[in-house]
Amino acid sequence: MTEWLTNNWLSLAVPFIVLLAFIVVAVWARRIFYNYLDRLFVKIKWEGSEVLLQTTKAPFFQWCLLIGAYAAILVSTLSPQSKVLAGRIIGSIFIISLTWTFLSLAVKLLQLYLQKIKAPFPFPIALISNAVRIAFIVIGVLMLLDIWKAPTTPLILALTIGLLVAVLASRNEILNIFSGLQLAYGSLIKTGDYIKLESGEEGYVSDVTWRNIQIKAPDGRLILVPNSKFTKTTVTAYRKPLKKATQPFHFHTRLHIKELTGLKAKNLTELANILKEVPDSVVYYHTHSFIEEYQYLIPQPANEFALWVSDVIGDEILAEKLSNIDTFEFSTIGELRERIIAVINDVLSKRGDERTAFEGREFHFIKSVSVVLTTPYMAHDLREFVEALRKVSINSIYFHIFESRLRLHRGVNDFSIWFQDGLDERELADKIAVLDPYNYTIEDLRSIIIQLIEERIK
Amino acid sequence: MEKAIFHHPRAKIQDYVPIVGRSTIEELRALAERLSGKVIQNVNSTLTGGGVAEILARMVPLLNQLGVDAQWATIKGDKDFFDVTKKFHNALHGRKEDISPQDFAAFLEVSKKNIEELKFHGDIQFIHDPQPIALIAKKKELGGKWIWRCHIDISNPDKRVWEFMRNFVTDYDAAVFSAPNFSQELPIRQFLISPSIDPLSDKNKELPSEVIDSVLSKYGLDKDKPIVAQISRFDYLKDPIGVIQAFEMVRKNIDCQLVLAGGTATDDPESEKVLEEVRERASGKPDIHILLIPPESDIEINALQQAATVIMQKSIKEGFGLTVTEALWKGKPVVASAVGGIQLQVKNKLTGLLCYSVEGAAYAVKRLLSNREYAAWLGKNAREHVRQNFLITRHLKDYLLLFISLYHPADAIYL
Repeated sequence: MTEWLTNNWLSLAVPFIVLLAFIVVAVWARRIFYNYLDRLFVKIKWEGSEVLLQTTKAPFFQWCLLIGAYAAILVSTLSPQSKVLAGRIIGSIFIISLTWTFLSLAVKLLQLYLQKIKAPFPFPIALISNAVRIAFIVIGVLMLLDIWKAPTTPLILALTIGLLVAVLASRNEILNIFSGLQLAYGSLIKTGDYIKLESGEEGYVSDVTWRNIQIKAPDGRLILVPNSKFTKTTVTAYRKPLKKATQPFHFHTRLHIKELTGLKAKNLTELANILKEVPDSVVYYHTHSFIEEYQYLIPQPANEFALWVSDVIGDEILAEKLSNIDTFEFSTIGELRERIIAVINDVLSKRGDERTAFEGREFHFIKSVSVVLTTPYMAHDLREFVEALRKVSINSIYFHIFESRLRLHRGVNDFSIWFQDGLDERELADKIAVLDPYNYTIEDLRSIIIQLIEERIK
Repeated sequence: MEKAIFHHPRAKIQDYVPIVGRSTIEELRALAERLSGKVIQNVNSTLTGGGVAEILARMVPLLNQLGVDAQWATIKGDKDFFDVTKKFHNALHGRKEDISPQDFAAFLEVSKKNIEELKFHGDIQFIHDPQPIALIAKKKELGGKWIWRCHIDISNPDKRVWEFMRNFVTDYDAAVFSAPNFSQELPIRQFLISPSIDPLSDKNKELPSEVIDSVLSKYGLDKDKPIVAQISRFDYLKDPIGVIQAFEMVRKNIDCQLVLAGGTATDDPESEKVLEEVRERASGKPDIHILLIPPESDIEINALQQAATVIMQKSIKEGFGLTVTEALWKGKPVVASAVGGIQLQVKNKLTGLLCYSVEGAAYAVKRLLSNREYAAWLGKNAREHVRQNFLITRHLKDYLLLFISLYHPADAIYL
């Protein structure tokens, strides 16, 4: 052993000295270089400086050490084959260290910058970071293969094909992400906005993600719109904050079936006498059925008593008097019934009961049996209310305007009650309360109320 | 017992959204939800042929699509039984019929057999028309709710037959009639549910103009000349001669053509005679076209209605008058007699014109042919009136409400 060292000390000492020299130079260079960077970063105040310094400081020394080792091997007396092998090993370690360091640096800088972007939704940081990691690892692997003289073309080809397939498979996702970026930089939409899409869907934006926008519709449905579609459609956004009621307005609907009482009148005396005895639901039916059955007509026909007196009895004067009874004046069915009977009796006392209906044309007393159902539509504020009002059926509007006021003895329509009690919107409540609904079709009423609310929230 | 199996494709409930709106279908679904768990068994006398089978074939699948467990079964009977029920049918319509005590006995005998053999199940038994009416005897044993649906006009029935029927009807929980005039004094609840038409059926769907033109061409009609049409079977009660008389009055002043189109009833020997008389009355008059339309020619009937300028229904007596509903749905100005269910559909001067005489009919047709804007306004109202009141979706709604109201006696039901 001693003899071998004596004969070969020079071939050992030279590489060792070279390695030592590189270590000394590395220590010195690192100090000089990083001191320079410190000063530079203080001067330019770059936010990524800390990350850069922390991530590269230790590897920098490793790299110098590896370069020194490589130089030492080159000046050594090892066989050419051994030099090549050792060089590849050192080169591989160098590439791995370099790849890892730049990968970490890139990811950290990316995260730093993505977090600072003011987007309406959290950026897919993990996804982007992973994509960057994969890219660096692929480059590193390709370089390693090159060092070991392994063929890289098949791998590059496979990677290219794989990438193309991935891009094609996730093109919608990619479109959504780019559209999301577009939304983010444009600051177009934020959570809490009330929006209406070209397709008619509408509601409050409940969440914005990098893939889609979630909208909560007035009927409680959750609508998901992919960002790529959202950026292509026409969107109306309403941002004015509105007062919210503690108790939301629940839209109900009312459907009715006709029940025959078996009672019929063939002259005015019988009409008045039977009218005294029948339930309120009968009087209600004959004074309101035309509103639904002829809801497309302007002006609508009068109540059924007037129509029968005109068409069958042929007493146009009485028919006119019955037509002129203003249902809106009465707050109960009982009062309305009294008025109708009084008008008929007044004519009977003056002219007597002159005419009788032909067989088959008698007046049949029918009662309305109502079934009241809740609907999925509800509103916490005027905006939600107006949008729900656009969608509810005419039966729902009928229930809240006509039936609740007169048949359910509330005295005023449900909408006005909620506007006043729930939202403290007295003026709006009054405007709707004084509308005589008997002068409009239900669709007209819908339009008028929508218009009044829109003027209020404009 | 036969059970209904629907082999042919039917319209989906969603297909009606463009016609009646989304909210109407939503309301039907909401009502159907309230019947969750209830089974409704419809019973009538036949699966095919006749208006009741036709409407059940459409209604039952739609009820199922809404989530209601509706089923359909039929009673069995031999020729003698159906001969007797045909007599009952005519007698309830007010026609004189020779009905013997043996006929009543035969009816009871077959009914008894059906009571024993029919597999009853369900919470609501929905019995259609007089043929299966005696099944009510099973109510005491089965319980549940029982409804008798009367599809026919019994406003002036033969008293003996009605009294016989009445004994059964009074045991039901409720009866349903198509028009107020058809109802009777009964100690049970009576509901008013009008019949309906299906806007997606061949008889009522929109047709391309080429189809209409080809039908006009097939029957030798001039498409450039106004058409006054009455589409009805050849029956004295439809007053086809009266229609010709009215047309002749109109024709003196206005160049137009008359189409009397319809079929003859196989069970009515009179209808051939009526057709003969009508043909004789129209002979030598090139503007009067008498068209004998074979059964199952719904598209042709539809095309003739869509091609008409004015549609008449000058009936002397009428049940509900679904041919009037069909005409109104096509947006046509209608001149019709103020009889039966026509009065529910044609509100004078609002959705059509009512008449009481040949002269009145002629005057109304002249008004419409001379005032096209007025005619168009009436036609527009007519279509909306049917959309609101006489489409199958309204019929479905009424049935659902009927079932619900059986469990709630109040006038206002909160669910």
